[in-house]
Amino acid sequence: MRRYAALETASGAAFDRVAALAARIFRAPFATVTIVGDDTVRVVAAHGLPPRHGLVESLCAAAVRHGGPYVVRDALLDPRAAGDPAVRGEPGIRFYASALITTPDGEALGSVNVMDVRPREAGDEELACLRDLAGLVMDELEVRLATHRTVEVERELRAGAERLARTLQRTLLPPALPRVPGLCAAAAYHPVSADEVGGDFYDLFPLDDDRWGFFLGDVCGKGADAAALTSLVRYTLRAAAVYDADPHAVLANLDAVLQQEHAGGEAPVPYCTAVFGVLEPDGDGFGVTLATGGHPPALAVRANGAVEPIHPAGGQLIGILRDPHFAQVSARLNAGDALLLYTDGLTEARTPSGSMLDEDGLTAHLAATGPTSADALLTTVHDLITALGKGVSDDTAVLALSVPPATRTPSSGSLGAA
Amino acid sequence: MQHDNGLTVSLQPHTSGPHLLVVAGDLDHHTTPRLRAALEEVKFAPDADLVIDLSGLTFCDSTGIAILVAAHQRAADAGAALLLAGLDPDIARVFQIMGLDRLLSFYDSPEEAVRALSK
Repeated sequence: MRRYAALETASGAAFDRVAALAARIFRAPFATVTIVGDDTVRVVAAHGLPPRHGLVESLCAAAVRHGGPYVVRDALLDPRAAGDPAVRGEPGIRFYASALITTPDGEALGSVNVMDVRPREAGDEELACLRDLAGLVMDELEVRLATHRTVEVERELRAGAERLARTLQRTLLPPALPRVPGLCAAAAYHPVSADEVGGDFYDLFPLDDDRWGFFLGDVCGKGADAAALTSLVRYTLRAAAVYDADPHAVLANLDAVLQQEHAGGEAPVPYCTAVFGVLEPDGDGFGVTLATGGHPPALAVRANGAVEPIHPAGGQLIGILRDPHFAQVSARLNAGDALLLYTDGLTEARTPSGSMLDEDGLTAHLAATGPTSADALLTTVHDLITALGKGVSDDTAVLALSVPPATRTPSSGSLGAA
Repeated sequence: MQHDNGLTVSLQPHTSGPHLLVVAGDLDHHTTPRLRAALEEVKFAPDADLVIDLSGLTFCDSTGIAILVAAHQRAADAGAALLLAGLDPDIARVFQIMGLDRLLSFYDSPEEAVRALSK
């Protein structure tokens, strides 16, 4: 019975038709389809006047106990039914016949029942039809059960995949960004699909006394292969920065590692795009040195609201090209300035007009909304991604850095390096 | 010409001048094997260059990019040129951000690419 528990809510037109057919075959006013629960009898379909529940219960239970076609020719003469109010009073049931709904293993789940208000016989042909109708009900229950099981299995698989994806994602991204004195940092990951692991990554970490390294990028592909590659890229970048934190050297190092990874292999070539940067405190701001390999431009939102790319021209894909070129540029983040790094899920998103958002669209949006802190940048990007909705077709990772505005009044303090 | 998952690839027979490969539709990890197979049939040589007409290309993911880069390297090894023609501006922009414009030459049309080769 337990494996049919999912069918406790079974009802519907199919059962109504079975009840109607049973009544027609017997030329009787009432017919029902009943399912026996652990200690209840449930009417899943009824034709004619709904019979008194007590009668249905006692007769259906008796039919199930009887284990085969069950016929009461005159309920008034049958001690199991004679006392029932539906026999004694309205509607005055006298005749009852039922056939069991039986599983392939022989377990009785319920019955198809016919009732009449006069005593009568049940013909062999009529009882054979009633058995067939009970068989039909069983077939219908099996179909519903199979569908239910498929949905259950699907739901379990899906939940498992989502758990795995979320676990993987956590290992690929830093649990929390470190606190950098004089800097605000915030990061977010916007997955398009809950159960597919993307290949976006970022990190912010200490290099030496007062310098900090940061990176953000995107590996090719999706799923488990991309997750493994993301892991390799992330640890290679961290390790490479320990030996030589020069951003250009770090990307060249990553390129060499990825090239070795697929040397002679048949597997798809693993490659990525990335921005790697070094932050060094400089007066009331930070000096930033950025190298890029095939990645969309980082955007600076200046204290005065201007938005400009910090982007060395010509950096190429990492891990796939012969003699790739990685470009490097230096800039400053002054008090009140913010820097946004993002993956192409954002800039390749489609706007409602169907065109690509692109760096220009993102720049215009940042200029219009004017976020001045790392947290505000993250909120702006979150709102933009939400507004783009289905126009976003790829994961987006975002890393935002900002230097808090100077608290001194401009006239009283020195500008730039002290 | 083959067609499924929205990608068609056809290698035009050439009497003189470069090979011409016409690629249209979505180039992704489902469809790249077809382009890879077509590219493997191209015999690169110093006088046998390849123009890929991408004017019908509607989408290109990371596996598509990897295939184009591999084809460029095979062509370069054989002393042949590989030219891309008719790239959608959005895809061209993505290729440019990836620095592929330093590697591959982009032309507005196959005719223009062929003209560039004959110079």
